[in-house]
Amino acid sequence: MELSKVKKILIVDDDIDLLEQNKILLESKGFTVITAENSTEGWKKFQDEKPDAAIVDLIMEESDSGFVLCYKIKKTEHGKNIPVFILTSATYTTGFKFSASTPEEKEWIKCDGILNKPVVIEELLAKIENFH
Amino acid sequence: MNNKPKILIIDDEKGLRIGTQRLLEEEGYDVTAVETGEEGIRIGTRNDFDIAVIDLKMPDYDGLEVLQKIKTNRPLTVCFIATAFASYETAIQSTRLGAFGYIPKPFTPDEFLYQIEQGIKQRKLILESEKLKKEREENLLELASEKSRLNAIIKSISDGVLVINKNGELAYYNYAALKFLDLSDIKIGDKILPLLNEKIVQIVEKIFSSETILLKSYTTQIELKPDNELIVEAAATPIPHPDGTLAGVVIVLSNITEFKKIELIKSQFVSMVAHELKAPLAAVQGYLNLLTDEKINLPEEKRKDYLNRSLIRLKSLSDLVNDLLDISRMELKTKFREIEDVDIRDIIKNLIQFFEIDIKKRGLNLEINIAENLPTIKADQNEISRLITNLLSNAIKYNKDNGKIIIDISSSTNYLEIKITDTGIGLKPEEKSKLFNEFFRAKNEKTRGISGTGLGLSIVKKIVDSYYGKIDVVSEFGKGTTFIINLPINI
Repeated sequence: MELSKVKKILIVDDDIDLLEQNKILLESKGFTVITAENSTEGWKKFQDEKPDAAIVDLIMEESDSGFVLCYKIKKTEHGKNIPVFILTSATYTTGFKFSASTPEEKEWIKCDGILNKPVVIEELLAKIENFH
Repeated sequence: MNNKPKILIIDDEKGLRIGTQRLLEEEGYDVTAVETGEEGIRIGTRNDFDIAVIDLKMPDYDGLEVLQKIKTNRPLTVCFIATAFASYETAIQSTRLGAFGYIPKPFTPDEFLYQIEQGIKQRKLILESEKLKKEREENLLELASEKSRLNAIIKSISDGVLVINKNGELAYYNYAALKFLDLSDIKIGDKILPLLNEKIVQIVEKIFSSETILLKSYTTQIELKPDNELIVEAAATPIPHPDGTLAGVVIVLSNITEFKKIELIKSQFVSMVAHELKAPLAAVQGYLNLLTDEKINLPEEKRKDYLNRSLIRLKSLSDLVNDLLDISRMELKTKFREIEDVDIRDIIKNLIQFFEIDIKKRGLNLEINIAENLPTIKADQNEISRLITNLLSNAIKYNKDNGKIIIDISSSTNYLEIKITDTGIGLKPEEKSKLFNEFFRAKNEKTRGISGTGLGLSIVKKIVDSYYGKIDVVSEFGKGTTFIINLPINI
């Protein structure tokens, strides 16, 4: 997906500070940002707002809330066509190694990429551009 | 103690009896002389004589019969047959019956003394060899009992032990090994390798195939039952012959299931800790990045807000570190505990003063009901204080503005009951079950913006548990929560 086609980004994170920071960062790059503080709210905003991309924190109400939300988003017609990323620090801190770089991993993880915290905006933009 | 050699003379001939007795006594022997065969048997079997000189022909007994009786009962007594009717047959017969010598009568004193001296030498040899024999027997006995003791020990230890000889045959086992490996039908001598877990065979083969014997164990961990139900560590060690060649392999199987479970819990805890520590750091780092990013133009109000948020997150980080240290001390039990009579009223009084400002800020109404004649409890003042602090601070934090906090303290026969009720946000049923889990924090629209480490109640529970107390929680979402703590009065 071309960067220019992405106007509206949904960020779901239960850490209100990170939510605020990422909102400011993305807004500074000209995106419209909608936020949600938990996966229930995130799911609702996704359906209502039909964002052009979504970034979902992994550990929220449960340690896999992000996976569950991604799965739900990717099952929808709209979700299939937009990049959805999981945002986490888990890859570093838990020793639990995962990524979404191979088709097999994308198949079970149901997301289009993993973003490590804190978000490096250039990395995010590159990932959106590489979305197929 | 009389160390003189003891000699028994049995002779019916009075002159000879008295003569030899006197002769021997002059030579320093301890002599008993008897007249009849019957008396000779009686005395000779009852006492341990070094030497017995038995006359062959006596009116009541045949000397050979006396000899036989004495030898049967006292095999170590050196016996001589003395006779004037020496014959080849009686000599043979008396030797067969155990006589050491044959003294033909009449004899000269020198001849007699010479025979006695020979007898004494013989007696010494007999005693010496008897002593050695006894020692050997004792050693063997000890060995035998040592072996059975070892056997009993190995059979009863909870670790499994299997010994395999170099032909791959089972040489020894204990029941724990059979249980671990599910080998009920195996017996000594059976070829065992095909029946063993592949990983065990691999470490055994490593030893068999090695050219030199290194006294080194190979270990492997095996999940014998799925889902971490039974995990054992198998250690295979070579057993060398005295000449250095390989005799076999001993395999010890230890149940490490519990250890593995703890390891897993520990690593999950460490992951959680790392994650929880990283969250405030990432937040502060993020704000600082925003504040220092020249391309992002932030209004002054926002800048102040972000700095304040950073301070709040750093405070929560330092609280978290302190809570973690407390938990770690509690777990390691390195925290010095000073058990004394604790009056809960004093603790409540002090804490109310401490929280006064917070309570006022929120406009909370505090009600304290303390029963009369409240007993003291044996406890560590700091721990009980920490327990009440955490509960009270929650009751303030998770209350609604102008709400109420009720503290009820009462006692029953065995317990002191502390009830802390708030009229705050309450818990959803699904949150209640996770309440005491480390790092659990109810996350909903009402808890947004309330800081906490997620360890406060976990610490409360640990303290209560350490006093064998009880903790209950009654809560309704949107209405409020009551924590009920029961602490034993006499621990």
